[in-house]
Amino acid sequence: MTEPISETDARSALRSIERQRRSVIAEIDMPTWYWWGMALGWVGLGLVAELANAWISVAATVVFGAAHAAISQRILSGRHGSPQLSVRADVASRHIPALVIGFLLIMVVLTVAIALLADAVGASHPVTIASVVVAIAVLVGGPALMAAVRRRLARDVGA
Amino acid sequence: MSEAEPRFDELIHPSTRLSIVALLASADWMEFSFVRDRLELSDSALSKQFGTLEEAGYVMIERPVTNRRRRVRVRLTDSGRKAFDGHVAALRQVVATAESASATL
Repeated sequence: MTEPISETDARSALRSIERQRRSVIAEIDMPTWYWWGMALGWVGLGLVAELANAWISVAATVVFGAAHAAISQRILSGRHGSPQLSVRADVASRHIPALVIGFLLIMVVLTVAIALLADAVGASHPVTIASVVVAIAVLVGGPALMAAVRRRLARDVGA
Repeated sequence: MSEAEPRFDELIHPSTRLSIVALLASADWMEFSFVRDRLELSDSALSKQFGTLEEAGYVMIERPVTNRRRRVRVRLTDSGRKAFDGHVAALRQVVATAESASATL
């Protein structure tokens, strides 16, 4: 059977297809407002924990967690980072939600550790200090995590 | 994507259409403006390509109104996706056939 195109043409077409797939992978992300919301919420919870009584602090944490659960269902997949497209589920990694949640859990542990450390050295507002430090880590680390996911997915294209 | 029956598709293969379909294949839907900007095509050139693909039943064009703005969204149909997957399989087959031929020399 005669092939309809040459090997060179086929390779060139496959490279073009991979390039387009990578350009869609480049759109996998969490909205910027998500990380800002998390960072502001973190600082807010830190302030509440330090300035209000324990019940208000618990209530604020529950409200924050419920709000996060409600809004994150759609965006945690990373498929809706751009309003201009919806990335297919089989293109985005199914591990993205677990990675983001894992990252946030590490941030919780980091908050407690920094607060304890700040308290041990006699800082006047240890929880607020910890929450501000971790909020900055969320703002920097969240987008960096997504960038690492995109790099990994792009590297796997055509592999 | 690689498990489809190899089937070279003359309609998809021209480079511009191949790029358009390859972009759409990685998304549930895309806005017209995203495809236009990504492939650096004019509105009219892209509309013409979409017209051809829509006529073949490969894409579906939707015009939802969100936030009082009319948007144009494009998505691959099932038959468009099947044709694209078959085309990719055919391209891979061409490469594999050439590689095995050169290996036996």
